[in-house]
Amino acid sequence: MVKLSDVSFTFDGQKIFDRAACEIHRGEFVSLVGSTGSGKTTLLRLLIMDLMPSTGTVTVGNYISQHVTRKQIPLLRRKLGIVFQDFKLLEDRSVYDNVAFALYVTNARASNIRKRVLHALAQVGLSHKTVSMPNNLSGGEQQRVAVARALVNDPFLLLADEPTGNLDPVTSQEILKLLKDINAEGMTVLMATHNYDLVRKAQGRIVQIKDRKLQEVQLKVK
Amino acid sequence: MNILYTLKEGVLGFRRARLSMVVSIMTITMSLLILGLFALFYRNTSSIMQSFRDRIEMEAFIDQSAGEDAYQPIGKRIRAIPGVKSAAFISKQEASEIFRREFGEDVHRVLDFNPLPASYKITLEAEYRNPDSARAIHQMLSAIPGVDDIIYRRALLELIEKRSKVFVLTCLAVGILLTIGAVFLVSNTIRLAIFSKRKTITTMKLVGATRMFIRMPFIIEGLIQGLVGGVCATGLMYASYAAASHLIGPELYDFITIEPMLYPLVLATGLALGFLGSVISIRKFIGENVM
Repeated sequence: MVKLSDVSFTFDGQKIFDRAACEIHRGEFVSLVGSTGSGKTTLLRLLIMDLMPSTGTVTVGNYISQHVTRKQIPLLRRKLGIVFQDFKLLEDRSVYDNVAFALYVTNARASNIRKRVLHALAQVGLSHKTVSMPNNLSGGEQQRVAVARALVNDPFLLLADEPTGNLDPVTSQEILKLLKDINAEGMTVLMATHNYDLVRKAQGRIVQIKDRKLQEVQLKVK
Repeated sequence: MNILYTLKEGVLGFRRARLSMVVSIMTITMSLLILGLFALFYRNTSSIMQSFRDRIEMEAFIDQSAGEDAYQPIGKRIRAIPGVKSAAFISKQEASEIFRREFGEDVHRVLDFNPLPASYKITLEAEYRNPDSARAIHQMLSAIPGVDDIIYRRALLELIEKRSKVFVLTCLAVGILLTIGAVFLVSNTIRLAIFSKRKTITTMKLVGATRMFIRMPFIIEGLIQGLVGGVCATGLMYASYAAASHLIGPELYDFITIEPMLYPLVLATGLALGFLGSVISIRKFIGENVM
């Protein structure tokens, strides 16, 4: 489903990845760990093809970095759900409109939009907040809206970049539980984080960025 | 593409960022006013120069020794010259009348005879009212037997020609500079407005919006800004002209005229400015990476 083969990437003269390789299979929950600045976000950007590898190949579903055209990139992103540390919600729109936004821009049928938005909001437990504005929500709720927006297009892969970075420990646990629940329903999840406590609780496969390469690691049991 | 959604977003863009929209519209209005006033200056100065050029006439004097029978054939040959629009015959008698009107004296009384020759007053076709054509026509007139002398205001014609060339080139350069300046100014103002919506653009890109889908609401916004700016500029021009004519009086119309075509032209330029400004500005943000 996701495959990085011999991926090297240089940014501003600095080598971030050097012949890195990794594979993620359908239904997995993978935690991507590494110190700050090691390249976690860069890896996610390579997956959404916001960046292209200097050498090597990134394959996401049917899209291969070497062959993908500029016009195909939006089509790839419609099949991915992306969640950020800073939520990236549109503050001038309601919760409902933020989630519906992902459907409007992908030309979804108007008759389906309401049903799908309400379903996504129900999945994240925010059915009662449809008319609220993002600024009136707690951090955890805002991240839930972002997750709902990521889910509403029914993606095959959910990418989460430090999804709990701005949240307190209790809320972080809630968001992790939400991501685990989504994974349990069959969705593949890749979560980039430097919070090892969260990784431990996630209990999935762990991929670490070290020395510009990707390697599988096992956490020591305390 | 979801056209209704795009239109809705374009119009809602106004409500979401009122201040930047007002600034953009004011910038477009001011740019259009400057361009409009420049166009007005160009048109009016051109027409003044043209009216000078229209007054240029040639006069071909007929040899005193030629009999009256020669007048008509000479006129026929003059009219056959390419570029000659009309040739009006002035008899010796009429010439003395004109002399009397202009100098206040009767030439018969002074000299006991009429020394003034008969002549043809020649007007040229518009496209022949330039020094080169006038020189060529002068030569052809000279070659007609019975034509003694030809006069026309060559120096004035050459001066108008020289000045009008400099004027047109200067206006062209200033016009181009003003237009580039207006596009630059408007696109920068719109860029500031779009800058405040970078987050929306990033989110659109992240959820898989195509470039065209992202671009369209901003282009619609730009067109609306251009249209509103155009209406404001047209209104201001009309009101200023009306106020000026009220203050100065109807004499103003003799000096400055606003052709009715100028108003739709200003509106169209406003639309073009809004369109270009938004297309140029949005390009930068669409090309940016999303994370």
